[in-house]
Amino acid sequence: MTSENDWPDSLIPIIEEFKDCFDSMDRYELLFDYAKKHPTPLPPSKWTESNQIVGCQSRAHVECNLDEDGNFIMKGGADAQIVQGLMAITAIAVNGLSPTRVSQLSPEYANVMGIQSSLTPSRANGFLNMFKRIQEEATKLS
Amino acid sequence: MALDLDKIRSEFPILERKLPNGKQLVYFDNAATSQKPKCVISAMSNYYEQYNSNAHRANHTLADEATTALEMARKNIANFFGTNPDQLIYTSGATEAINLVAFSWARQNLSKDDIVVLTEMEHHADIVPWQQLSKEIGIEVRYVPIDTETFSLDMDAFSVAVSGASLVCVVHTSNVLGVRNPIEEIIQLSHSSGAKVLLDCAQGAPHEKISFDVMDADFVAISAHKMAGPTGIGCLLVKKSIMEKMAPFMTGGSMIRTVTTEGSTFQEGHAMFETGTPRIAEAIGWGAAVEWLDKFEMTDIHSHVQELASWTAGEMRKIPGIRIYGNPEDREGSGAVSFLHDSIQSLDLALFLDEGGFAVRTGHHCAQPLMDALNVPSTNRISFWIYNTMDEAKMFIEYLNYVVERFS
Repeated sequence: MTSENDWPDSLIPIIEEFKDCFDSMDRYELLFDYAKKHPTPLPPSKWTESNQIVGCQSRAHVECNLDEDGNFIMKGGADAQIVQGLMAITAIAVNGLSPTRVSQLSPEYANVMGIQSSLTPSRANGFLNMFKRIQEEATKLS
Repeated sequence: MALDLDKIRSEFPILERKLPNGKQLVYFDNAATSQKPKCVISAMSNYYEQYNSNAHRANHTLADEATTALEMARKNIANFFGTNPDQLIYTSGATEAINLVAFSWARQNLSKDDIVVLTEMEHHADIVPWQQLSKEIGIEVRYVPIDTETFSLDMDAFSVAVSGASLVCVVHTSNVLGVRNPIEEIIQLSHSSGAKVLLDCAQGAPHEKISFDVMDADFVAISAHKMAGPTGIGCLLVKKSIMEKMAPFMTGGSMIRTVTTEGSTFQEGHAMFETGTPRIAEAIGWGAAVEWLDKFEMTDIHSHVQELASWTAGEMRKIPGIRIYGNPEDREGSGAVSFLHDSIQSLDLALFLDEGGFAVRTGHHCAQPLMDALNVPSTNRISFWIYNTMDEAKMFIEYLNYVVERFS
């Protein structure tokens, strides 16, 4: 698992941006902004039962593949903007990494960013389920 | 008579709680479970501290006290619901009560081609057991639709569906819409057609005096935890004449009369269906809850909740993008207000409201067929009870306006 000092380079400025937020509502607003900036969105027309993340109160779907250079690419989509924002940030973090590195990444970055509630499994908002799914896909693609 | 809200709230220590972000809790998730007054918590603690023992199976003092308390609770709870304790079977809640009907009565008395009528408003607890029974023995399950404009049951369709039915299973009050169904008419029409009636009163019991003998339903399912009692207990109220036609659901200790290596004989009455160690502390807690509730008129509780729901729904309708599902201004409803915003997804909205200290429900509320009928995947829901105040409702409206302005 990655430590705080070993985040992907693309994640570090995002973490800093979230650390500068005044309160939770500011962080949610920033997540809403990131939801609109998903680098590899999965449009609703491609949401299927097989790519649905189970255990999420909102509808959330991911598809993971390797690009022509063998790097990991995660496409994702969710109807809840908070989940979509977390997906966007995760995609920014993992896209272009080796699948092995993705499988070793820790979901702790959401906590460091101050989105603690997203890491509470009983909230069932899907972040941890999404992250687990991505890591399972990365392990298969390694 | 107006409720003394300051006094009532002082009996619920949890209402003083602040959330980790420092916000004062405003508890608007009462349709999921109510909070518990100190007397309920004390009654359960006192049992564990002073006379914890197994009931019905020993001659020592503690066992006698536990047995007496368990059966006294049954008497008080049955009395609260306007019936005789012989017609009350303790269950884990309304879900188990409905399953008890499916396993103990329906499997004995229904067969292939019998018809069970449900409605689109039912909680999953009142759908899945009948779907399973249909798979096992081939009963036909019919669904009465709702009118999605008025959010009420289509009673013309009900009149058709009930023809030839053996059992009608209807939710007294919808957990999603807060709509109180015309159960008197439903019972009358069902009995006229020769069908038994099972009412899911999980949502109705906290808001209306359920008088089992007067309402004349054949089965009534109730959960304690939505009406100031503890989780893990509820009951099935069932007519004695029908209970005699039920077979055991679970078998084992407590429910037997004799056991030999060749076979067993069973107790009669409710004891036949209460297998294993009873939920003693929970029953005592529920008994304390109905004793506490009996200090009030249920009509006063209902009027108070309706005032809050009606005002809040009216203010919510003024907020751009909010759509309410149900008729919270209807005087007969439970005060549950289900709603969606047209651009803020329900899960996002629930998290924003939580940040403000407001505990609200989001999701399909275990009523996916109703969600399908309404053509929505989920709703947000606020639900009031005896201890909620108009100040809380006003704070909610102010905060909801702020959230909508900021995020839509």
